[in-house]
Amino acid sequence: MARTEPKKDVVIVGLGWTGSIMGIEMAKQGLEVLALERGADRYTVPDFRYPDVIDELKYGVRFGFMQKPRNSTVTIRRTLQETALPYRQLGSFLPGDGVGGAGIHWNGHNWRAMENEFILRSYVEDNFGADIIPEDMTIQDWGVTYAELEPHFDRFEYMLGLSGQAGNVNGQIIEGGNPFEAPRSRDFPLPPLKQTYDATLFADAARAMGYHPFPRPAANASGVWTNEYGMQLGPCNYCGFCERYGCLNYSKASPQTCILDALRRMPNFSYRTNSEVLRVDLAEDRQTATGVTYWDEEAQEEVFQPADIVMLCAYSLHNVHLMLLSGIGEPYNPATGEGVTGKNYAYQMNGGTTLFFKDKLFNPFIGAGANGMSMDDFAINQIDFAAEGFIGGSYITAGVTNGQPIRGIGLPSGTASWGEEWKTAITEWYGHSMSIGSHGSNMAYRDCYLDLDPTYTDRHGRPLMRMTFNWKPNDIRMTQFMRSKIEPIAESMNPDTWQSSYKGEGAQYDVRPYQTTHNVGGAIMGDDPNTSVVNRYLQAWGQHNLFSLGAAAFPQNIQYNPTGVVGALAYWAADAITRDYLPNPRPLV
Amino acid sequence: MITFLRILTGLVLLGLVVLAAILFMPVRTTPALAALPEDYTPPEGSGEYAMRLADCSACHTAEGGVPFAGGRKIESPLGTIYSTNITPDEDTGIGSYSLDEFRAALYDGIRQDGAHLYPAMPYANYRKMSEADVRALYAFFMDEVEPVSNAGPETALPFPFNQRWGIRTWKWAALSEPGELSSTGDAAYDRGAYLVEAPGHCGACHTPRNLVMGEAGYTAMDGDFLMGGEIDGWTAPPLRGPDSAIRNWSAEDLKLYLASGRNNHAGVNGEMQLVVRDSLQYFTNEDLDAVVAYLRALGDPAAGDNAPPVDPPRTADRLDPSAGGTQAVLTAAEPGMALGPRLYLDNCNACHFVDGRGADQVFPELDGNPLVTAPSATGLIDTILNGAEVPSTTVRPYSLRMPDFGHRLSDEEVAELATFLRSAWSNSADAVTTADVTARRETAEERAAAE
Amino acid sequence: MPLPDWKTTRRGFLGGGAGAAALTAMAVPLHAQSPEPEPLENYAPEYFTAEEWQFVMSATALLIPSGPTPGAIEARVPVFIDLQLASGFGSADDWYMAGPHIADADPLLGWQSPLTPAEIYREGIAAVNAWCEQTHEAPFADLLPQTQQEVMTALSEDEVPLPPELRGLFDLLLQNTKEGFFADPKYGGNHRMAGWTHIGFPGARASFLEWVDKHNVPYPLGPVAISGERG
Repeated sequence: MARTEPKKDVVIVGLGWTGSIMGIEMAKQGLEVLALERGADRYTVPDFRYPDVIDELKYGVRFGFMQKPRNSTVTIRRTLQETALPYRQLGSFLPGDGVGGAGIHWNGHNWRAMENEFILRSYVEDNFGADIIPEDMTIQDWGVTYAELEPHFDRFEYMLGLSGQAGNVNGQIIEGGNPFEAPRSRDFPLPPLKQTYDATLFADAARAMGYHPFPRPAANASGVWTNEYGMQLGPCNYCGFCERYGCLNYSKASPQTCILDALRRMPNFSYRTNSEVLRVDLAEDRQTATGVTYWDEEAQEEVFQPADIVMLCAYSLHNVHLMLLSGIGEPYNPATGEGVTGKNYAYQMNGGTTLFFKDKLFNPFIGAGANGMSMDDFAINQIDFAAEGFIGGSYITAGVTNGQPIRGIGLPSGTASWGEEWKTAITEWYGHSMSIGSHGSNMAYRDCYLDLDPTYTDRHGRPLMRMTFNWKPNDIRMTQFMRSKIEPIAESMNPDTWQSSYKGEGAQYDVRPYQTTHNVGGAIMGDDPNTSVVNRYLQAWGQHNLFSLGAAAFPQNIQYNPTGVVGALAYWAADAITRDYLPNPRPLV
Repeated sequence: MITFLRILTGLVLLGLVVLAAILFMPVRTTPALAALPEDYTPPEGSGEYAMRLADCSACHTAEGGVPFAGGRKIESPLGTIYSTNITPDEDTGIGSYSLDEFRAALYDGIRQDGAHLYPAMPYANYRKMSEADVRALYAFFMDEVEPVSNAGPETALPFPFNQRWGIRTWKWAALSEPGELSSTGDAAYDRGAYLVEAPGHCGACHTPRNLVMGEAGYTAMDGDFLMGGEIDGWTAPPLRGPDSAIRNWSAEDLKLYLASGRNNHAGVNGEMQLVVRDSLQYFTNEDLDAVVAYLRALGDPAAGDNAPPVDPPRTADRLDPSAGGTQAVLTAAEPGMALGPRLYLDNCNACHFVDGRGADQVFPELDGNPLVTAPSATGLIDTILNGAEVPSTTVRPYSLRMPDFGHRLSDEEVAELATFLRSAWSNSADAVTTADVTARRETAEERAAAE
Repeated sequence: MPLPDWKTTRRGFLGGGAGAAALTAMAVPLHAQSPEPEPLENYAPEYFTAEEWQFVMSATALLIPSGPTPGAIEARVPVFIDLQLASGFGSADDWYMAGPHIADADPLLGWQSPLTPAEIYREGIAAVNAWCEQTHEAPFADLLPQTQQEVMTALSEDEVPLPPELRGLFDLLLQNTKEGFFADPKYGGNHRMAGWTHIGFPGARASFLEWVDKHNVPYPLGPVAISGERG
């Protein structure tokens, strides 16, 4: 150990969404708070400045704002028998980097989970019987209910300036919103975004078939907004460079637009960049955390940062990695089913149908991040699992968000991918295609988990984390079900041609194409220390002064994008810590 | 002939007498404006607050420097003036100043050694500050500020302006009565008048200068007071009259602008940014209301000043597809469009939108914006070249930034764009030439090189 | 303005200079653009050898041919690729390159070659040229266009025998070619925004609030680059 720093009340690992929320909420209590971020600092100007951020090569293709695998990556295998190999290039998922984290470059899809998703195992057993749960499926209840989280969903959404249309306010169903959503206590902070041509065509077709399309909730401001911290958002201008890019015009909700300048003003809050946390340090008896050890990039030395409270707020995968490296919780063993740390890693099951119209012009470069019309008619709370033969559900959306040319111009299958034919085809079809996609749940399984790799190490000599994951028949049946619902909608729209892409029987996880950055689980929450790593307040069962935020807490993946639940859980945990833990530090459960 | 010589001799003798008077007549300093007890103790915090009202650090703290240790460069039309060290250091600061000597500096522009201060120090305005605030400031600088040893660069203006005794004549011509303020008897107005006319010294920028470079008025009783001035080439706009920058603002808009540098119309820019950052954001709620009441009292509702608050439509709903004029040209986005609007679409539209109305409290309006249509286009050119930033404040902590476009646009393009803006929508102001832009870019480069 | 008659011969793409002039005229700039860069045959590569440069020019000309509209050559795609390989992308600065490498692993596990992109091009071009010598008695760049087309097709279908660590060559080449056609011109390709103009992409304008509601209406204005260059 090269040096030890003066003790802080709270040390926060990672300054992304959860780090910023916990940072400001703890600083408001008058605590001395330090956040350690391993990446660089980032401001709207200069880091997302117009027009320099409109650089598809640098940010969209070379992943300029993302984690560099050279600095941090995982190894991946599909089965227990396979040898895991390094995720050497980014592909399937794109972890964030730097101050703001993935909150800089997300699209802004922000949802509340369905009520049944928080009590999924009980819901299945009570409604369909435990027998329908496949033997190797390890789904669990979360230990917290939607009703308990509702005020915190509301708080997170009003902090974001979320744009949308409520469908269920205190039980009253409202026309134009999502009639299947869990009840919310009030409407969205901002009205919905305007819709593009493809979304309106889809919505018309869906309505004609008796479905209930509604505007997708969007953390891209549809107007100006000032949140509880005095931070401000301007109206989104549909620039078409949302996902993968920092927002150039102050309209995408991010730690930069929603929290950071307010947090920086607080004299009891400070942060250090280029400071990678190597491990959480525990007391001799391992009953508490004493602080963290990090690598000071500038000084090129290890630093021990003592603290009374340690909060893991890094990206979900990194939180789990730190726990495995630090000996927090018993590592999960898939052979025995014993242990908890690393258990229940899950991903997201998506698919889509692309439609081609010679006589309709979609300007695909006009899009926000989360515009679109969605429907929840086949959501996880709408499906008869026993009848359909799977546990799960999806929401279905159409809404173009970008037309960036390098990342792919949709062409009818069979079209050449190079040469004269391709060159002509892209002029024929660019702006003439649209997609309808399903975004769905992914269950937890005995052999989908995280542990430490036996072979590969990082630049500090620490073993990489190993991800064992594959697609399972249950979720494949679910996505094929969605296909059977989407294709008739597509046909009813009379395209010149259409084609589908859904995982089929025997599909193997392919790490190359981008799918989603919704890696969840590994440090799951629950009501039983034998089957979870953190309790319902995201407090580690083993060390009462250690909290682990983020989607690592999800016992299985919800059908939606995780951020809404991540934010709600952060405010829920902050509330419990403020009201209950700080006056009397101890295990809260 | 002899008569002529006698008259001439008389004039010379008269001149010598006047010169002797200037040089040798003792300077009479202004006494305290109110009698406070000898053992009067300023209320806790009042000294720091008075410092905020008077914005001492704006000049007496150098860029990135130690608070109040001086050494800041102030560009005046006569040359560079360096601010002095006003920490209580005995040798290089004001540690040895008595209360009377401190007051003399604030009211009369007299240094401890009797030398006259250049009117870059706004004693012309500070001479109206109350004795209570003078005492509070004195106690603050003596007791609450860290003494710092810093002699700093000497101000050396070119001859004849380095002859400080000449300032005495300027004072005879330029200064007004100490302690004189406008008043209506309304508590809010009177407090606002005090804040604006005394410590706030708003007139130092916002009032035109007369022939001797004094302010053409010091209180609202003077017709020219706050009728607009110029600082470093930028226009400090009028705050009353038909060209008032604030005539279409509601009271809420005005108050929020003072507290945060942004409102539904504008974003603070130029030197005024620093005023919001270092001074206005610290005003109490009541004092902000007082300043607002005062400024609005200078307006004439019958002439359409003092707009009521408006609940504006969402930006996306505001863009009327049937609108003509500039908005129609920009929306149509025709390939053959003129260069001015084309440059607008390629650089500005992303935030300021096709109707030039920006977005409330985030992106300033360009349509009807005094910075855009000011008589001097310097501020507009500077903003396009170098961008802009509103400071982080308590009520609005986000330091919103406009990026600079100087590296992306040629001088010709900046001139074309600025000319377009000055005649777009309802704007009507003179064109901007390429030479104007080149000159401004050169000034910035010269300054940067001289750093 | 009559357009030159483009032929997909070796001489066709060596006439890149004239093509660039036609491009400039087509773009109808409102102000003088930056001066025309040197023709491709005079370009001094930062990474490629002279022989590799010939290969890349021939290969990219096949992948995005010239014709009535600009192709990879007019868009200076080979320059883009050269500059990319000379930069951090070429040296795989961002990738995890520690061993052990299992180069013949399941392709679904992603890039596992021990070689960087720059090395893939170097060794890959040498391997393809060697195969062309063996099967057609000339390096790739010297073959007739029809033969080049056959070779490229074979390469794209994994029918050119390459060791496992080079198996990513075609995908890399095609990906980089498309990048060079569509990336911002600041990276050396997409010359005069030819790629963007080809499909009607507005480039770095990124401002469309007033156009969201215009459904099924063509967007008429040409592109703008990050530098401010107008198309």
